[in-house]
Amino acid sequence: MERGIYRALPVIRIFLFILGYSWMLMLPSPQLGRGIYIDENALQPGQVNTYWSWDDVHSADVYLGHLEQLRDQNASSVEKSSFLRSVFSELGIPAATQAYSFKTGTMTLDGINTYGVLSAPRTSGTEAIVIAASWISLTAGPNLRGIATVLSLAAYLKRYSLWAKDIIFIVGDGYMDGMQAWLGAYHGLDQSNLDAEPIKLHSGVIWTALAIDYPGHSFSHLGIFYEGLNGRLPNQDLMNSFHIISTHTGGVPVVVYDHVEEQMDSIISRWLPQLLSRQAYIKEYARRARNVIRHVRYQALGRASGVHGLFHRFRIDAITVFAVPATGPHGFHALGRVIESTLRTMNNLLERLHASFFFYVLTGPGTFLKFGQYLPSAVIVSVAMMFGGLRVWVDAGWVKQQWSSEKVNHGPAGKAPKWKTRRRNVIIPLVVMLATHVVGGITFFVVTNSWFLTRTDKTTYLPIIPLSLIVFSILSALLTSDQPTNSQHDEPSPAPLSSLLKAFNLCFASTVISITSVLNFSLAAFLVILLGIPLSISSPTIGLTSKMAKAMSYFILLFPIWWTLLATPMSQSIWDWQVLGVWFAPFVCIVYLPLVLQATVVCMLDP
Amino acid sequence: METKVLAGALAIRLLAACSPLQDVLQDDQQLASPLTSYARLREGVYLFKHGIDPYSGGVFRQSPILLSLFSTILPLSPALLSPLLWTLCDGIGAWSLSRIWRLRCKSSVTYGSREGLIVISYLLNPYLFLPSLALSTSTFDNTLFLLALHSACLGNLEISLLLLALLTHLSPTSVLLLPPILFLNLAGPSSRLSKPIQFVGYRRAVPLALHYVTYLSSLALISTLVSGGWGWIGRTWGAVLTLPELTPNPGLWWYFFTEMFDYFRPFFLMAFSMHLIIYVAPISIKFQHDPLFATFLLQGIFAIFKSYPTLSDPGLFLSMLSIFPEIYPYLKTPIVTTLLHLHASLLLPLFHRLWLSQGTGNANFFYASTLVFGLANGFAVLDAMWAGLRIAFGAAKEGWEIVQT
Repeated sequence: MERGIYRALPVIRIFLFILGYSWMLMLPSPQLGRGIYIDENALQPGQVNTYWSWDDVHSADVYLGHLEQLRDQNASSVEKSSFLRSVFSELGIPAATQAYSFKTGTMTLDGINTYGVLSAPRTSGTEAIVIAASWISLTAGPNLRGIATVLSLAAYLKRYSLWAKDIIFIVGDGYMDGMQAWLGAYHGLDQSNLDAEPIKLHSGVIWTALAIDYPGHSFSHLGIFYEGLNGRLPNQDLMNSFHIISTHTGGVPVVVYDHVEEQMDSIISRWLPQLLSRQAYIKEYARRARNVIRHVRYQALGRASGVHGLFHRFRIDAITVFAVPATGPHGFHALGRVIESTLRTMNNLLERLHASFFFYVLTGPGTFLKFGQYLPSAVIVSVAMMFGGLRVWVDAGWVKQQWSSEKVNHGPAGKAPKWKTRRRNVIIPLVVMLATHVVGGITFFVVTNSWFLTRTDKTTYLPIIPLSLIVFSILSALLTSDQPTNSQHDEPSPAPLSSLLKAFNLCFASTVISITSVLNFSLAAFLVILLGIPLSISSPTIGLTSKMAKAMSYFILLFPIWWTLLATPMSQSIWDWQVLGVWFAPFVCIVYLPLVLQATVVCMLDP
Repeated sequence: METKVLAGALAIRLLAACSPLQDVLQDDQQLASPLTSYARLREGVYLFKHGIDPYSGGVFRQSPILLSLFSTILPLSPALLSPLLWTLCDGIGAWSLSRIWRLRCKSSVTYGSREGLIVISYLLNPYLFLPSLALSTSTFDNTLFLLALHSACLGNLEISLLLLALLTHLSPTSVLLLPPILFLNLAGPSSRLSKPIQFVGYRRAVPLALHYVTYLSSLALISTLVSGGWGWIGRTWGAVLTLPELTPNPGLWWYFFTEMFDYFRPFFLMAFSMHLIIYVAPISIKFQHDPLFATFLLQGIFAIFKSYPTLSDPGLFLSMLSIFPEIYPYLKTPIVTTLLHLHASLLLPLFHRLWLSQGTGNANFFYASTLVFGLANGFAVLDAMWAGLRIAFGAAKEGWEIVQT
């Protein structure tokens, strides 16, 4: 049976690759996935009467007028924060400001956050709910109406004594930087490149948070942005309760991100023939695929899709409510009612959200994929890669021993060639792997070093291509000459370095993919797609030009690195690492780059 | 050559001990169990110095011998002296491991470059390195174990039994290592795996066990005098048998007992302890021709199944594998064992963090990773056992396959 498996292994591997990749393609299909449901019974979403009235809408409009004035005057952070603080003080809510300054290698980001704490009227405020809005929206415009909503909510919520938790209203300066500074100071986490004032008004432990993002005049849908830093997701119950409340209490349809269905339908009808584009299955698949792709883009890069993403580090479940800009029917009134009802639901919690899912893929506003429905796609491909590595390892241990010529002439049929075991020196491939990781570490140090960042821009990286050509040609020439020819001794020569290195490379890549898939599935999927087949087909070559050609073709795999890390002078991923602590940049330099380099070295060796 | 490698590796260790890594690792539950934790040791020494019986609470579970040592001769200072002491202990352990290798080799020409490799495999093994950085007292356990083995290889019966009694005081599971160490004293350490002979010293060995019992009881008496009562027995030895603390560790006991009804607890405690005892006789008898190998296998088995393991127990097994190079050609699945260990060593801290600090996972995640770890260690022990028996058959004849040894 073992021999049957050994012989069938290439077929099994191809089958596993096809299965894994087609499973990934099938993730957005309408057949997979189930409807959302509320798991924590304490939440009871949509069961309260809301009292948000047109008077509160009027007060929001008044605040909006002040904020627009500030925007038109190009007010400084000091002026903006003093206005906000005065608003809170007039309402009788204790408020304070926090000045902060981020000094990364190339730039300095500073600002002033303003926050107010509404203490729970009748209980001790051991827990807190956060309503946050940042000055800059995720569409990069000003988030004036979001801040106006927060201010008018503060005025409205103060009038009621039914709050069991403290409510903290935060208006963060900038986009992510303000919230990062506030959260770090609140939870006592120091960051070396951050200089922030301490928090003067402390409240309880924050359990849930909502960030409001309302850039346009009116909105037609409310979008949910939910990804956090490093691919972390909030508990699904928060999003699901928001969805139910918005649909039933607010009357506002909910979408994922800002993907409105009508936009999608027009895109499909432009790109696909009429016959296909009218099929309901294709339409639904396309809608879900759009959501999944956007989710993967956020999660693989470890970026938070909104200000809420910074809360997840502290075990706070948070989402961003985005009012999709439109000439549509809804405005402050609908948003206020929805937020009020959501706050009442969040107020009901007796313990942190733990019942519903933390690992899911939201394919549509009301459908999601559970962990077991999407995880096997990456793991199956990593298993196929592991099988490949083990096969190469086993093959490296045996060598065909040819009979000497006289014996072949004697027998009519010729004896079958004998297989002999040969030694496998594992130390040298391990040293090569360690060297590639050291190269990755040096690369990371170089790209994050401020000296390097201040002196380079987009065009500095163009010489990398001819430079690497030169380096690869030198390495190939060096690696060509050192393999001795196989002689007919009794003791067969030890296994070639290329086989062992390929075996270790595949096994290590498979381990990395399996481990990453539990932490951050999109990153594992990105590894699977980019590395699955190229690492499996790496093979040693003879001849300098073909070595060069193969090595350069593996170099293409590194393009995503250059693009994400080095495309702009202060690339977003490096900024994320330095300011927000996102692990994508170190991961790409210290894990992904060495894996590709190992495969390149395999190609440059002799067989 | 060996001294240079030893010095170099010790220097690396000391450098790592000075880094901030130590502060992060000290509270890690995989590196230090409740029986070996440094923080608890400091607490116990403090209480002792202030006249309070450290065994009256439930925190301190170390032996009174450590208590007396650290409250009188050796001060406990996590900044400088303790890392130095722990690194020194590891150095002694590495030295004794390489000496055991020398005694095992039949002639002086065969050992040579291997000594450097043995020292590196002990000092830079991450499973031993990290608990030592975390100042877990399992380092002392390993060093005493290796010193006891070294004396047994030399034939110094009394010293080896004394060291084993001391080890039993620190880690009670080691009492089960008495039979193979006795046989090792009588038979010698040289490698007879490929040419097994019968062991003829059973009659002689039985009275020698009394020496061990004498040492053990005198140390117990000394401990009673030090701690001023018999309470330490229930807190230290009793902890291993009755599992009072269910702190998560890389072992297999804690999860079982978190979900067990009290009615069944005594039965299962007995069954789990009995499970450890049943391995001693078969392995000692089957490997009577090479008691050093029997000790090595038993240590590996106990590392998987003991009640409060840390990472240093399987780490010792893997490092000791380096003194048995004759079995390497006969290992059936070394790469599977390596890959399982790689996966387990990455999954253990990941799931621990996902459960206890991130809060998005639960105990089952971590328990699954301890199962993978146990599987990895089991593969290693079984592979070593197979190779140790298979080596006696030599190279397979043409067309024949060895199915069972």
